Amino acid sequence: MAYTYSKIATYTVGSGGIANVAFLNIPQTYTDLVIKVSARLTSTDSPILVNFNGSNSSLSWRRIYGNGTAASSLSGTDGYFLHGDTSAMTANTFSNSELYVPNYTGSNYKSISTDTALETNATAGELFMLASLWSNTSPINQITFQTYSALFAQYSTFHLYGIKAEV
Amino acid sequence: MASISLKYKSKSGNLTAPGDVDPGAMIPLATVLVGSGGSSYVEFTGISNNYEHLQIRGITNASAGGGSVITMRVGNGSVDSGTNYSWHQIYGYGTAVDVSGNANTSNVGLIISESSVTTSFSGFISDILDYSNTSKYKTIRTLTGIDTNNTSGVIALRSGSWRSTSVIDTIRIIPPSGVLIQNSHFALYGIKRAGA
Repeated sequence: MAYTYSKIATYTVGSGGIANVAFLNIPQTYTDLVIKVSARLTSTDSPILVNFNGSNSSLSWRRIYGNGTAASSLSGTDGYFLHGDTSAMTANTFSNSELYVPNYTGSNYKSISTDTALETNATAGELFMLASLWSNTSPINQITFQTYSALFAQYSTFHLYGIKAEV
Repeated sequence: MASISLKYKSKSGNLTAPGDVDPGAMIPLATVLVGSGGSSYVEFTGISNNYEHLQIRGITNASAGGGSVITMRVGNGSVDSGTNYSWHQIYGYGTAVDVSGNANTSNVGLIISESSVTTSFSGFISDILDYSNTSKYKTIRTLTGIDTNNTSGVIALRSGSWRSTSVIDTIRIIPPSGVLIQNSHFALYGIKRAGA
């Protein structure tokens, strides 16, 4: 039986929270990477900075966004590809995000797609769809997640999977 | 900073005996194909808590209530029909983009239906992360869309929350009215804990 969707690593935030989470030495043996994130932040700031191989440069994105009452589109030249539920949202509620990184070992610039849902028991839940780019030809061997402010709350989880295109 | 070095966790690429072959992390658990006459709902029960995430992939449509939403209820032991849910969506329907959301609902809006046609189905992929984590409420994210040969159609990113820390072992998918039409198909997958 082929394995097309392989578990690589999980990090669960412990008591007290943490500001950064990194996957280091990512195996170069898969075709694509998938990262599933269920995060809550200890501040009211939802952005989460994503960087590759320790570099915060050459990152850009374009998104569509809805907050329960209006839709909008925005672009940026930073690594805020991801968002998490904030301390202002319903307690015990965590985001549901997926980052897809195709051809992460290739020599082209790296395109990343991200879907994020920030639920809360109010009209003002938030949804994001992003197309992002890391304008760098290096294979990705490290991915870091960093809060905009404060910490990832306890029980936030980061799950890294590899996708393989052949048996 | 918390960091996980994966230097010694690479798959070897030297798997030979059938027993050594990694079956992967995405495990098919159950499928439902709706038969003649349709079905008033589709339900998965007794879902094992041995996985980290659940994913449902499928195609479906409702026989009535066109333009309304096929919904989901979840639960532990039985589906929760109380007002313990919320949902949100951003969607485009060919001419504009719009959003909506609701609190204290009795279900999660999941899939757009278009009952004006019976030959087109809505495709959807729905992810429930950490469904067996008893420290978290459960958040559901769904990408769904339907096109009816350019006569109508919608694409949407939807989310929902079940405000319970209970493990999800039951999922029910319910049409807005009428039935889920024949040949609707639902596949439930369990996704193993990464690194386990």
